[in-house]
Amino acid sequence: MDERELRLRTSRRRLFLKTAIGTGIGLSLVSAFYVGASLRPKAEVTPEKEPLKPGDILVYAQGGGEPKPIRLEELKPGDPFVLAYPMDPKTKVVKSGEAKNTVLVARYAPEELSPEVAQHAVEGVVAYSAVCTHLGCIVSQWVADKKAGLCPCHGGTFEFAQGARVIAGPPPRPVPQLPLKVEGGVLVAAGEFLGEVGVKAEGGHCHHEHV
Amino acid sequence: MYKWLDERLDLTGLYQKVLRKAFPVHHSFFLGEITLFAFIVLVLTGVFLTLNFEPSIREVKLPDGRTVPAAYASVLYIDSLPFGAVIRSLHHWSAHVMIAAAFLHMLRILLSGAYKKPRELNYLVGLALLGLAVVTAFTGYALPYDNYAVTATRIGYGIAGSIPWIGSTLAQVMFGGEFPGSAKSIPRLFSLHVLWLPLLLMALIGGHLAIMMKQKHTQPRYAERVAPGKILGVPMYPQQMVMMGILFALYVGVMTFIAGAFLAHPIEAFGPPTPNTPAVKPDWYFLWIYGILQLIPSTWEFHLFGATIGPEFIGGAVVPGILALVGLLLPFVDTRKDKMRYMELPSERPVRTSVILALLMFFLMTSLAGYKIDFQQQGSILGNNAVLWTLVLGGPLLTYLVSYTLLRIFYGKKGEQEEAAL
Repeated sequence: MDERELRLRTSRRRLFLKTAIGTGIGLSLVSAFYVGASLRPKAEVTPEKEPLKPGDILVYAQGGGEPKPIRLEELKPGDPFVLAYPMDPKTKVVKSGEAKNTVLVARYAPEELSPEVAQHAVEGVVAYSAVCTHLGCIVSQWVADKKAGLCPCHGGTFEFAQGARVIAGPPPRPVPQLPLKVEGGVLVAAGEFLGEVGVKAEGGHCHHEHV
Repeated sequence: MYKWLDERLDLTGLYQKVLRKAFPVHHSFFLGEITLFAFIVLVLTGVFLTLNFEPSIREVKLPDGRTVPAAYASVLYIDSLPFGAVIRSLHHWSAHVMIAAAFLHMLRILLSGAYKKPRELNYLVGLALLGLAVVTAFTGYALPYDNYAVTATRIGYGIAGSIPWIGSTLAQVMFGGEFPGSAKSIPRLFSLHVLWLPLLLMALIGGHLAIMMKQKHTQPRYAERVAPGKILGVPMYPQQMVMMGILFALYVGVMTFIAGAFLAHPIEAFGPPTPNTPAVKPDWYFLWIYGILQLIPSTWEFHLFGATIGPEFIGGAVVPGILALVGLLLPFVDTRKDKMRYMELPSERPVRTSVILALLMFFLMTSLAGYKIDFQQQGSILGNNAVLWTLVLGGPLLTYLVSYTLLRIFYGKKGEQEEAAL
């Protein structure tokens, strides 16, 4: 190292330049943080995205047109389950904006149901969250010979008469049951889902902050 | 005219410096070029598609009275334009070709040992490009917002969300809120798909080519016999450029024909999203992950520092992650001192070649497992998890043993002789 280099190392000019560059980079990094903070979207809750509440009327999810409440006598034991959305009884808003509100309703002969399931069923009619606990697809196929529901994404199969026990495929846990009651002949949610809906949240705080 | 430009821009200097660079010729060297051509076609058709695509899920009324998401309606509109559906198909099929060609290009690099010193860096850039290409394809998947696309993307959201500790935040940032449901999802996926990821891809492709030019292409084996120690090849201009031009024209011609004959992703048939999940299969390059997801039973779940490590994380992220890590570390494990100029023949390295073949068998068998539900519905023996597991683990092992034995029998002696001669 020659003398010139040594002098430069200790010079005030070098020090000033280094400080200026360091401060500049540091400050611009700090100021970039607010960009990161706005990457995560705000949860906006519109009426059709409200979570399911006890007292909501279950209406057919498919068929189009006016929302049609599900009547008890329309369901026959052994028939494929139907998909439903909750409808606010006062405002008549169908809460279809939130996939996690998708409910499936099936009817069994009352003696087929396990006692725990029967507690929350009405005359053999059971309701569950239709959101598969594996990767969030909608359980939408009926396996007639097993009287079970199949998620076509990865083959998760749930036996609803036995508390949606997983009888095939990868789902880590059953889909949660929804307690039911009948008011004026139509199916009504008697409570909230008896467990966490959908894929288990990691990091914990996201899925429920709007509830 | 040339003189006028040359006096100002020193075109002759450019020609002598860059355009006279020698490029070796070998049929396997065109795979990278095809990847590039597919990317160029993707950018051009993609720019066209943005002219009419509406990145929104607000409800709009179709002329026939149905109410559908605006994105879906705008893709229907694109399909109704003269050649609109052909251009959309060309975009779709080119994405397949880009990923396939990039994968084959990577196989060529692996089989010929071209990832070794001094090319480790460019090999890593290449891996990043392959990963980014797949991510870009995935972010484009949801954009037509039909029932099929929504279901497929929802699975991706589930996998992202299953990553321990950070999954939920990561999925929300990537997908702009919960997918499906959030109105911010499609704008965000659109921005990622048409802006962020393509810019990143362009930058990395530029870097990939610049490093290749700087380090010089690996020489094919025949070059060692013909002119040892020299760089053998044709000049970039005119020979190489003419070859590239012909190949590009051929690519556009053949792909346009395919796009016209086979319309991709018929959104009219899939319909707008419904609460029903259709029976979906992912694109072929995700099929192996999809297969692994079906193989892993629900009991593979454990807890670690407050997070749940579930089957979807293991199947969707850990297994591909391990493969990616092995790929990343390869050039730092398989080292040797001298700089490599010539390609290695696959037969000279029986272990490496056999491992690569075994890996291909693994991809094939896990992809086969992707059809598990269909096998079950047909009552086939392949619907059985134990049978599939045996195939997934046994197939690659058998492939390795057979390949290694055959390579040893047919090339073993020759390889040893060459080693002795060196």
